[in-house]
Order: sequence, then C-alpha cells, then structure tokens
Amino acid sequence: MKITVRAFARFREVVGDVTALDLPEGSGLPALLAALASRSDESRDLLVDEQGTIREHIIFMVNRKRVSRSALDSIILAEGDEVAIYPPVAGG
Amino acid sequence: MLTEREIHRYSRQIAFIGEEGQERLKAAHVVLAGAGGLGCPAATYLAVAGVGRLTIIDSDKVEMTNLNRQILHWEQDIGRNKTVSAREKLGAMNPDLFIEDVCEVITGQNASALIGRAALIIDALDNFPARYALNLAALEHGIPCIHGAVSGYDGHITTVIPGETACLQCIFPDPPGGSEFPIIGTTAGIIGLMQAHEAIKFLTGGGTLLKNRLLIWDGRDSSVTFLDLERDPVCRACGECTQGAGSERGEP
Ligand SMILES: [Zn+2]
Repeated sequence: MKITVRAFARFREVVGDVTALDLPEGSGLPALLAALASRSDESRDLLVDEQGTIREHIIFMVNRKRVSRSALDSIILAEGDEVAIYPPVAGG
Repeated sequence: MLTEREIHRYSRQIAFIGEEGQERLKAAHVVLAGAGGLGCPAATYLAVAGVGRLTIIDSDKVEMTNLNRQILHWEQDIGRNKTVSAREKLGAMNPDLFIEDVCEVITGQNASALIGRAALIIDALDNFPARYALNLAALEHGIPCIHGAVSGYDGHITTVIPGETACLQCIFPDPPGGSEFPIIGTTAGIIGLMQAHEAIKFLTGGGTLLKNRLLIWDGRDSSVTFLDLERDPVCRACGECTQGAGSERGEP
C-alpha cells in the first residue's frame, strides 16, 4: 500500500518534501518510521535516540490528525494515508 | 482618548483599524517574554503600532553573537542588560509608551507574578522549560499567549487562548532538545513579526487568529503549512482533571 509522508523542518531536509512509501498491507506507524529511519544515518538520528526509541518531541499527524505518544504504536495505516512529521524548533 | 498627536502619528493605521482600534492598542498591556531574536522585531512593531504598555522580560546580557538578529541591540550595548537596551530603543522610537524592563529568568515560581494582569503575552523565549512555566501562568490567569519558535530556516507560531485552544503543553508535550541553535536573522524576524501581527489582530479584534493552528514556516522555499491542533484532554497543563499538576515541569 502507498503511504505519503510529508516532512517538515530539518526532517524535510533529510528525507525530502513529500515521500511516497510502499509498505505491506496492515503496516503500522512504527513500520513506517522504521522504513524512514533506515534511509540514512541522518534520518535515523532525527527520528530515534541512542536506545532506538522514537524521539519524544516529534509531532506525528496521520491524515491531519495528531497522533499522541501513547497511541503511536497502535496506529495501523491504510492505503493512501498521509503521515506528517514535524520535529519542532525551540529557539528564539 | 487619543491625543491630537496620536491621531496624527497613527493616521495611516487609524484609517484601517479606526480610532477605536487605536484606543484598544493604547489601553493594552502586553508582556514580551524574551528580548532576543523573536522579541526584538515583535517589540519594535508593537511599540510603533502604539501598544500603550509593554513589559519586557529577559535575564540575558547582550553578546556580540546576538547581533545578527537581535535588532534592538547594537555594538554599543554589548555587556548591557537586553531589557534596558530594548527599553531605550523602543522609548526613543515611541516616547508615548510605558515600557517596563524586568531582568529575570522566567520560572515556575515567578511567572505568575511577572505576567500579572496583562492583556496578552508574547512567548519569544528561547527554551522550553521557561516556555512551559509561562504557559502554565498564562493558563492560570486566562491570558492569551502567542507562541513562536525558530531554528535555522524553520519557524512556527500559534495563538493559545486558555480554555479554548490547545495550550503549549498540548501541542508540545515533550520539550525539543538543544540549547544553542543555528539561526538566520530573517527567520527570527519573520516569526517575531508574525507574533506582533497576531497581537495587533488580537488587540484590535481584526482578522482571524492562529487558534488551534500551528503555522509552520519553511524558509528554504518560503513556504507556509498549517497543522490543525486540538486540546489534549489529559494535558499536564490544561487537562480537565490535571489542572495545575504540570507545574513541576516548569522548572528549568
Ligand atoms: Zn494543554
């Protein structure tokens, strides 16, 4: 199934503006993130910490709906879903 | 009431927002948390727009490395308090305003007292612990807060209305890391100006606010994207059953 990834800020620099991923039917959000992380060291570094856990501050949206941290592991994706990833900035 | 001088000074915007709008700006008290890359442009435009009372909070002294973006601070100000430097410049731009400078670090202990009874807060801080403390105090007092943040080519802004929109902690439950961030001056200028713009709309009642919308600015191709936001019912700061429980997160 085709999933569209919209990346923002630093993550956009690393994976590109809009990325289409082909994932097996029934894949969840963690599978998509693993696929993205495996693209490059930089991509992995932005998404997961040294322990391999998804970085807590990153904002994930599926079909424009925010996914909370606790729901992240249980989200199952479907054909045509759009996943937005925003690693927020903090400076001023 | 506006003076003759004020009616003349602000005539180009009174033509747009009316004398009533100008009076609202004059009567307003805005707290600017941070006199850095976001705070300088935000404060500048609020001052020249005629916001009657500004409180500028920052604990830092001006450093040489600030000067690529913190436009209220000049070479001659290196080593001086940012709040004093900002107050002097803003006072010279518009002597009709009442400008207070508060040289303090915003913490969970003092945030509430510092924001007092302001009409509006501009979150132009540079770190999330202080931002969380400010968010909690704003929720406690029911004061709207315009949040902005930047790094490199990237920036975002949203307007938090207590009890109505997602709060800062709903949107960013976990703090993004990093202390020293790379920054192009114009990124801070753009987001700081958007914060001032949002403030003027809020104070005069014009336009549509960035309520429950996160505007994401990408300076690489000058594109803007919006993320729709909603309140988190179990938010540590504003959640129904957790009101006030997040105060310990405000500690630096
Ligand atoms: Zn909240």
